[in-house]
Amino acid sequence: MLLQLQHISKSFGGVTALRDVSLHIEAGEVHALCGENGAGKSTLMNILSGNQQPTSSKILMHQQPVIISNPIQAHALGIAIVHQEKSLAEGLSIAENIFPGRQPVNKWGLINYTLLNKRVIALLNRIQLFNLPPRTLVKELSSAQQQMVEIAKALSCNPRILILDEPTAVVSGKETELLFSIIKTLKEENVTVIYISHRLREIFSISDKVTVLKDGRYQGTKITSETNTNELIKLMVGRDIQQLPANHSRLASTALKVEKLCGPGFENISLSVNKGEIVGLAGLVGAGRTEIAKSIFGAAKLYSGKIFINNKQITITNTANSIKQGISYIPEDRKSQGAFLEMSVAENIIAAKMPAANKNNLFSCSRMLAISETYKTKLNIVTPNVKQPVKLLSGGNQQKTVIAKWLLADTDILIADEPTQGVDVGARFEIYQLLLEEAARGKSILLISSELPELLLLCDTIHVVHKGRLTKSFPKEDATEEKIMQAAAAD
Amino acid sequence: MKHRLQDRTFTLSLTIIGIVILFSAIYPALFPTFDNLRQVLLNLSIETIVAVGMMLLMIGGDFDLSVGSVVAFAGGLCAWLMYFQNVNVFSAVSLGLLASLLIGFINGIFVAYIGINPLIQTLAMMGIVRGLALMVSGSGIQGLPYWFNAIGQGILMGLQMPVWYMIITVSIFSFLFSRTVFFRRYYYIGSNQKAAMLSGIAVKKMRLYGFMLASLLAGAAGIILSSRLGAAMSTSGEGMELRVITGVILGGASLQGGTGKIIGAFLGIVFMGLVSNIMTIARISGYWQQIILGIILIAAICIDLILKKEGDAAYKNKNTKYNV
Repeated sequence: MLLQLQHISKSFGGVTALRDVSLHIEAGEVHALCGENGAGKSTLMNILSGNQQPTSSKILMHQQPVIISNPIQAHALGIAIVHQEKSLAEGLSIAENIFPGRQPVNKWGLINYTLLNKRVIALLNRIQLFNLPPRTLVKELSSAQQQMVEIAKALSCNPRILILDEPTAVVSGKETELLFSIIKTLKEENVTVIYISHRLREIFSISDKVTVLKDGRYQGTKITSETNTNELIKLMVGRDIQQLPANHSRLASTALKVEKLCGPGFENISLSVNKGEIVGLAGLVGAGRTEIAKSIFGAAKLYSGKIFINNKQITITNTANSIKQGISYIPEDRKSQGAFLEMSVAENIIAAKMPAANKNNLFSCSRMLAISETYKTKLNIVTPNVKQPVKLLSGGNQQKTVIAKWLLADTDILIADEPTQGVDVGARFEIYQLLLEEAARGKSILLISSELPELLLLCDTIHVVHKGRLTKSFPKEDATEEKIMQAAAAD
Repeated sequence: MKHRLQDRTFTLSLTIIGIVILFSAIYPALFPTFDNLRQVLLNLSIETIVAVGMMLLMIGGDFDLSVGSVVAFAGGLCAWLMYFQNVNVFSAVSLGLLASLLIGFINGIFVAYIGINPLIQTLAMMGIVRGLALMVSGSGIQGLPYWFNAIGQGILMGLQMPVWYMIITVSIFSFLFSRTVFFRRYYYIGSNQKAAMLSGIAVKKMRLYGFMLASLLAGAAGIILSSRLGAAMSTSGEGMELRVITGVILGGASLQGGTGKIIGAFLGIVFMGLVSNIMTIARISGYWQQIILGIILIAAICIDLILKKEGDAAYKNKNTKYNV
């Protein structure tokens, strides 16, 4: 038994994040840790890596009790963590990021760059990043490559236990495969990997064992090959997920049509969305899907092309204009683009349609609160009060607030860019339901997603974007994950 | 109660009331007299008008270092037009306001549309406009027309006109910020510029307007100042930008933007004015006044951070069951 965590409890102020969690980890296994947002996964791993102090705990390594009171002690015990948030200095080189503050020095105490580069190249090869000069600046790398550099940074102290916290949050498809093959190599080298994720598909394809947490409590550990999705979801959510409503009906008239759109990162895009239809855009991160959406919405440049709404050609100059023409856009990154985190739920909901709160042409706070209360109920946004700042809500409720903003704006066309990113399972299904309801009301939805099951579940038509072009289209009946993946990752 | 304690306008009002009561007891003959308080208000009226503009900018996440120079230039330009060019009072004041609007326009274009950092743009503009102020008013212009001086020297109901201008400015902008969609947009822009743009707010245009309004208010303050003094001086408003930013931050704004109320600008400046008035009465040297104001600023921000952390923790505590 490599590692035993026994009776770990942690509370912040009066809030209990972990209640008496015990966990056993064997050497050389890939141990997945799953649970909804706020279940305590990250807290548990922060305790193990010395970033946070438990309220009470007992940690045994090789049956010997150990104390981990700061990250340095964790390093000494061979525990390294790759955090969910990026921790790289973008303006520095790969090499300097991997060895921050502990670059090898020569006898004069100056940095020995030859040795540094040699070590970095060895590490990069270990994670299968070949032909990447160590001097490359981190900001020039793709986000998947940056993720790999984070892993290399963790590996640089030769850990026996490597913790990966939601490593696939920013990468897609092919890069996930690469990550998995790295994890397999590490496993062969007898490194234990603790893999935090709420993507069940990944857990099934990489882990040996899986432990589920819920509300800071230990729900159980299963051998991955002996369990199934439903059992895990039940453990995570504590109830069965209800089935989605039956199909919405798609109408014949076209609501949105774009012809030969060209812009930065994409060219020659033609597609149309009917009333009551959900059209999906699949593709890898960086394929140009977000850019297409943003330029239809007027938030990014368009070099050429035509946009028609209800068969009438329109010109879109800015976002205010496109909302007026009937287009909404739920952006991909909730924290940086979607929500006003410091502002209240009510102010967030009203943001795209502030005049709705006017009484006699004057902004009325009580009116705003009343409107947002109705949307709070409608979307089941869990907050004691719509005056609460959005930053205090859970990820799923933040996203529902952003969606409420656009439901209030009530445009005919809704573009949703990764609407369920960083959202827990429960809220995810509520969002699916909302999108289906909107479609059933005759709205047209353009859905961008990196989660293929999501696209297959919701969309009537799925287009694949590959290197800025629409390469394939599948009607719902024809689409399978394999076909889409093949088209998205083709060379 | 915790919630109210996080509201700077509330805590600052309490502090001001506390100070007034305390020092009325300590200096009953000097401090709580109508004459003294009237003088305090008069002294801070010009800075408050500038501070309203600064608050407006800082709610939207910007700030302007050139306002002090604009104060000197607008007053100087008016005086120069009237004294050397025989322009009538109305036209001179209009041109002075127009010139300050133009300065704000240039700031706004370079910051919002071209993308220069506001610190750099307005720092450069601070120097440029100070130079212009020196050009128009040189070593000072005295002997301005009667009607011009009447703008700032009149008295209404026992209070000098600048105090009234201040009250009017603060009231109008407080109303606008709480009751109009147009001005409420600044909170969204200051809170998250990208999200504001994606919510259909014309961020660039709004920022441009912000700089223009802040500069216009500074110009108006400068004209009122030279009218009150009956003279234009190229050194007036020196260092005012930093005093105003201090007051506005004390009043609840933050450099990140998204927070603050117009009334907070007034309260912040009033607080600073009271502190310096009391120190003058107590015969504390001017050097100490600056030291003490600096300490107060840091202390206020620290208290704020602590209250905020406790507030967030209390919220999370109350609602753990929701945070699934």
